[in-house]
Amino acid sequence: MTLLTRSSPVRRPRPLVAGHALLFALAMAMLLSAPLAMAASPRIATLDWTLAETLQALGTPPAAVAQIEAYHDWVGEPRLPESVSDLGLRTQPNLELLADLDPDRILISPMFANLTPRLSRIAPVENFSLYSPGQDTWQEMRQLTRGVAAVVNRPEAAEALIADTETRLDELQRTLPDAVAPLLVVQFMDARHVRVFGDNGLYQAVMKRLGLENAWPGDTNAWGFSLVGLEELADLDARLVVVEPYPAGVRDALEQSGLWQGLKRQSQGEPLVLPPVWSFGALPSAQRFAEQLTTALETADAR
Amino acid sequence: MLARLVRLAPLLRLSPGIACGLLCLACLVLASSNLVDAAGLLAGLQALFGSADAGMDTLVLHFSWWPRLMMSLLAGGGLALAGVLMQQVLRNPLAAPTTLGVASGANLSLMATTLMAPGLLVVGREWVALLGGGLAMGLVFALAWRRGLAPVVVVLGGLVVNLYLGALGIVLLLFNQQELKGLLIWGAGSLAQNDWGGVTFLAPRLALGALAAWLLLRPLAVLELDDASARSLGVSLRNLRLAGLGLAVFLTGCVVSVVGVIGFIGLAAPNIVRLAGARRLGPRLLWSTLLGALLLATTDQLLQRYSGQVSGLVPTGAVTATLGAPLLIWLIPRLKLRGDQPPAGATAPAGRHHAPLRLAGGLAIGLLAISVVALLVGQTAGGWSWQSPADWDVLQWRLPRVLASAGCGVMLALAGTLIQRVTANPMASPEVLGISGGSAIALILAIFLLPSPDNLTLVGIGTLGAMASLAILIIFNGRSGLLPERLLLTGVAITAAFDGVRAIVLAGGDPRGQQVIAWLSGSTYYVDLTSGLVVLGLALLLALASGPLARWLDILPLGAATSRALGLDLNRSRLLLLLLVALLTAAATLVVGPLSFVGLLAPHLARLLGFSRAGMHLLGAALSGALLMVLADWVGRQLLFPQEIPAGIVASLLGGAYFMWGLRRL
Repeated sequence: MTLLTRSSPVRRPRPLVAGHALLFALAMAMLLSAPLAMAASPRIATLDWTLAETLQALGTPPAAVAQIEAYHDWVGEPRLPESVSDLGLRTQPNLELLADLDPDRILISPMFANLTPRLSRIAPVENFSLYSPGQDTWQEMRQLTRGVAAVVNRPEAAEALIADTETRLDELQRTLPDAVAPLLVVQFMDARHVRVFGDNGLYQAVMKRLGLENAWPGDTNAWGFSLVGLEELADLDARLVVVEPYPAGVRDALEQSGLWQGLKRQSQGEPLVLPPVWSFGALPSAQRFAEQLTTALETADAR
Repeated sequence: MLARLVRLAPLLRLSPGIACGLLCLACLVLASSNLVDAAGLLAGLQALFGSADAGMDTLVLHFSWWPRLMMSLLAGGGLALAGVLMQQVLRNPLAAPTTLGVASGANLSLMATTLMAPGLLVVGREWVALLGGGLAMGLVFALAWRRGLAPVVVVLGGLVVNLYLGALGIVLLLFNQQELKGLLIWGAGSLAQNDWGGVTFLAPRLALGALAAWLLLRPLAVLELDDASARSLGVSLRNLRLAGLGLAVFLTGCVVSVVGVIGFIGLAAPNIVRLAGARRLGPRLLWSTLLGALLLATTDQLLQRYSGQVSGLVPTGAVTATLGAPLLIWLIPRLKLRGDQPPAGATAPAGRHHAPLRLAGGLAIGLLAISVVALLVGQTAGGWSWQSPADWDVLQWRLPRVLASAGCGVMLALAGTLIQRVTANPMASPEVLGISGGSAIALILAIFLLPSPDNLTLVGIGTLGAMASLAILIIFNGRSGLLPERLLLTGVAITAAFDGVRAIVLAGGDPRGQQVIAWLSGSTYYVDLTSGLVVLGLALLLALASGPLARWLDILPLGAATSRALGLDLNRSRLLLLLLVALLTAAATLVVGPLSFVGLLAPHLARLLGFSRAGMHLLGAALSGALLMVLADWVGRQLLFPQEIPAGIVASLLGGAYFMWGLRRL
């Protein structure tokens, strides 16, 4: 290889596929798939799934996202189009690839702030925070949506998304049964431990909006949950809400668990089981959680 | 509490019996006061036999509090018993129940099963874990079989299997953090229970193990003699070691499969009992088991009493490791170690190359070639491509990483060679010395306590952590003349504290954990051109500085008496070498994180290649370290493109594979 470059200083070896051709193909694919949205939007790369979800919901899909496969497993909806490039790990996105894709902007959340000096060598970086302690989460979600929309020059899309979500949540609130017991939202980590969701998180923000009470009195971390053993739930007078997925084998183990059976008997009504929702998401995830929670409450009530 | 008890030791002429008695008292007082707070003593005791129809309070006591108490006693006892067996068979006070890779085997098999065949976990996760632990042990035994399971080969095999499986585990974790978040709790050793299933699984197996240990008591005592005398008594050393280690692994596997990884107990209980005056194997087994059980139960009761003040889960296993560390550091100067003699057969024998300089030349050419490949060949969005050496757009990302990985490889390899030669212990490595552990603790705390810290702050804080570790090492061992074995034990304690902190932080499930994992796994990702150049320059400078010390390194492993006779100032030479090791380790750790294991592997690789005199050994290790890191960095960036596997992990996998092959060939 060294010989090759020495002997032919004029004809430099070029990449097998030129970056520009690839970009062009990518841009064409996007133009075809969303002709209106792409009209004046800059090409965005993002490391954060919540921002990716928001971009997609605004009708301006990002050009590149980190860990796309895992995004589809854990965030699920809204799905990202095939044309989006995968940047690798969220904490260590592939810089060579990112530079090659040459985005106009890179959006991150504070979790990735230590990468800023590096990323800003490729494109201007914007940092959006959500779930800051001491802030009203819903208000912050609105701000985040507007901020992201401003980056892609689609302020009207943000207003539409906010209005849609809030109208839908108001509708859902009206369909709720009259008296709903305080809810205790948990997600199983293994057969002995759960995440219990409280202040400063997506589930709490949605429940507040729907006028539902959260039964968890304890502290939560900066992402709105606390990891506890099952026995910590014993004193609480509430209806259990289990957010899927159950880790493998846990459902069977719980059948054998005397403590869990006792907790189920104590629950104010049969525990509700909800399909998975990205618990650190923004407005799209919020609406999905609201839909699922109200449906579960209604069907449980009808039985 | 415990520290106070131990401080009273000289007054009471501490014997193992008194230690256990005091601890038992403390445990009883704590447990009953916890019970009184929960439901009243009588109701609490009744709850032990309570039926399922009772109220919620009784239910919690019956299905959670009582099984947890039983579990802590069983797990502590089992681990301590396994610890004594390990230390007896391997003749190494550093040996712990997890030395043979049981925990990492169990961990990896649980992770792989979760990702690929979750159906098996329905059958029983205990069995999956037990199988994984058993396979890891089988691998270690296979590696050491031809050498008759000689302690040094077993220890080395266990070490490398641990690293290997641990590295694979980190790869899985890095790419599947969401799926594996439950296993992080297991890894931190939570004792929380919600039925009697775990206790009924563990109790009969531990009883069986204890019985087997009692039956093996007399033959195992023979292992205190040296190999020749033991053989002259007509004992098959290999079968005896197989039985002893197999039993220890079985006990550990059972405990680990149920409650996860619980640090410190299996390492410390046997050492405390020995310190308290138990000499013969029988009493050591008995008292260690009791002490281990009480130690874990007391810690867990204390935790239950005071953990309410912290939000979220405080996993007992990780806390024992963290809190145990200061106690261990305090204990070490009081341990009777045969530190002044050269440990028998402490270095794995290997052939000597007839022309080491030519071999080094070959390595250097290899290093150069692989660096050029790493710079010019790689994948882009369009597939594989060859870059022109003038294409700065691409090289600006690659050059710093090649420079930094070469520099870190050299520094870690030098540090590892120095520390292995000074301590004459093949388990020694910069990671084991605790300097990278200290800097890692500081960095983890910075990531979690500071709001979005930048890289410069992180580097500063990491340096402080490394310095603090070094200070601890020198302060606590200065009086005893920096004895190598004590240094290592202190390092092990600091590393244990680091493992604990890491486990606690990761178990909480905080998304920032992903960042911690990424950094811990040893990546050159965060290097820019300036720091790359600085790292390489520093590496070359320190390499030149360590050259003149080669004579000391040839002499020191011969033991203190010989060294003094040859006119070496032991304290001064050890301190100087230690400072050099600290400097090398701190600089490398700040760039590639604390878990690269190049410092452990490179010196052994060099020895297997045939570098044996100290000077040549240093040179060979530095070259193979750099080669390994540059290769690992490049392979890691290409293998799963666009995902990057950190260089440290790939280095452990590449180096570990070669190491295992070499070990088998011995």
